[in-house]
Amino acid sequence: MTEVKSATDPAVVPFDPFELKDVVGGNIRDPYPRLHELCRESPVHTGPIDMGEGADEPDPSRPPPVTVFGFEEVVQVLRDNETYSSGVYTDVMGMVMGRTILEMDEPEHRMNRALVAPSFRSKVLERWEEDLVALVVNELVDSFVDSGRADLVREITFNFPVQVIARILGLPRSDYPKFQRWALEITSVAANFERGMAASAALGDYFVDVMAERRSTPGDDLISDLVRAEVDGERLSDEEIYSFLRLLLPAGVETTYRASGSLLFALLHDRTQFDALFGDRALFAQAFEEVVRWEPPVTVILRRAARDAELAGVKIEQGADIALMIGAANRDERKYKDPDRFDMFRDQRQHVGFGFGVHVCLGMHLARMESRVALNTLFDRLGPFTLDPQAEAPHIEGMAFRSPLSLPVVFGAGG
Amino acid sequence: MSDPLEIRIDAERCMGSGNCVFWAPDTFDLSEDGHSVVTDPLATDEERLRIAAQGCPVGAITLWRAGAEVPLEEGS
Ligand code: HEM
Ligand code: SF4
Repeated sequence: MTEVKSATDPAVVPFDPFELKDVVGGNIRDPYPRLHELCRESPVHTGPIDMGEGADEPDPSRPPPVTVFGFEEVVQVLRDNETYSSGVYTDVMGMVMGRTILEMDEPEHRMNRALVAPSFRSKVLERWEEDLVALVVNELVDSFVDSGRADLVREITFNFPVQVIARILGLPRSDYPKFQRWALEITSVAANFERGMAASAALGDYFVDVMAERRSTPGDDLISDLVRAEVDGERLSDEEIYSFLRLLLPAGVETTYRASGSLLFALLHDRTQFDALFGDRALFAQAFEEVVRWEPPVTVILRRAARDAELAGVKIEQGADIALMIGAANRDERKYKDPDRFDMFRDQRQHVGFGFGVHVCLGMHLARMESRVALNTLFDRLGPFTLDPQAEAPHIEGMAFRSPLSLPVVFGAGG
Repeated sequence: MSDPLEIRIDAERCMGSGNCVFWAPDTFDLSEDGHSVVTDPLATDEERLRIAAQGCPVGAITLWRAGAEVPLEEGS
């Protein structure tokens, strides 16, 4: 076991952030056969679910939990945000993050999302594409390009999303290591609660200073945007900004790291699709959507019934927790042909990998853009790369969060 | 060929996700206040328009032909 330093440890630098990588997500390799089975039984289940390792004990003091597997049923829940509340996240995430749009219902949600949304529009993101995202990825590539081989998870996908966020926030470079550490500790709060809470507090303290500075000298960065943001006379308080910034770590870093890794995994295992994308970069958009369908980095999201309801003939009691199985819905056999295959040319492109309804992912345009730049940079600088035949074959694993943990490749002289 | 598709956006529902702009940038754009507007209904082929409409997270986009709503679902 590696020793785990606390978030407030002054000796946070240097450390190998990669050591912390596998603390979340579990190690299930292929949950999909079981998910198909459950969905075929019924698209909506009540009571604890047995994913193969035994079901949890039912809690008689609470309404029976509901689990939704079917695509249409998930969409129905996400569209009906009056019946199905996001308040459920207050218990799970609120303690770590503070109050964020993730856990708000309408109309509070709409108002608060409107304040942060302008910074995440694709047009606004363009300003970061060349000078920021491409720069980050190129620097990472510099460190291994001469060796002819690399583990693309360790060298690229694990690192670029957090560095992109750090730069978008305008943080000084020397702060990246501790920022990345806090990001990981907050993201893995389910695995180590105290460490996650400590990191959340440390990050909050850190942002106090950063905010004071941005208030006096605003710049061209996200924090300055948030400080200036105003809609209908409403502004964000400092506390709201800290909470939102904390949310960006699990929401924006972990997800993009996992999606870009799974995309590389899929391409490395299908030479025809690799070559097609290598030759025609315009196909990136559909390739990325397909990976977010096929291996959604977030496989389950939550809601709570605000009133009694019925879904696909199944009764739902007011107060019941509802798990929406995004991974199962995205492979619903009733919607997709050959759902378990990664196929960027498939006709059915709709998916719920970014959620759906009013809480649909705020950062999807950023995730798409930064992953596109990362992949294009790899293509341009490494040439066509292949799996390293001498290394252990990689695989995708995890339950709540899934992605490959390594992607050993060879290229150029090494290939 | 049949009549061209008409695109309707329910401005009350639209929550400015920008997903339609992602799928059909030549047809949709986001206005200053973050609502989708149709810039050129004919600039995108119908298949892609359907994908854009389906992908709207709040179902704000409907497609119409000759006064009748066109269903968005069509096999896989
Ligand atoms: C491939 C990458 C990503 C995936 C698969 C993803 C997935 C999701 C999903 C499924 C939700 C809905 C949660 C729910 O309704 O309960 C969501 C919401 C959200 N995402 Fe993402 N996300 C990604 C990248 C990002 C990035 C890069 C950011 C920001 C930097 C971000 C910020 C957010 C925020 C703030 C929300 C909450 C929106 C709201 O509640 O209104 N995400 N994301
Ligand atoms: S996809 Fe729907 S909600 Fe999003 S901007 Fe377009 S019309 Fe509005």
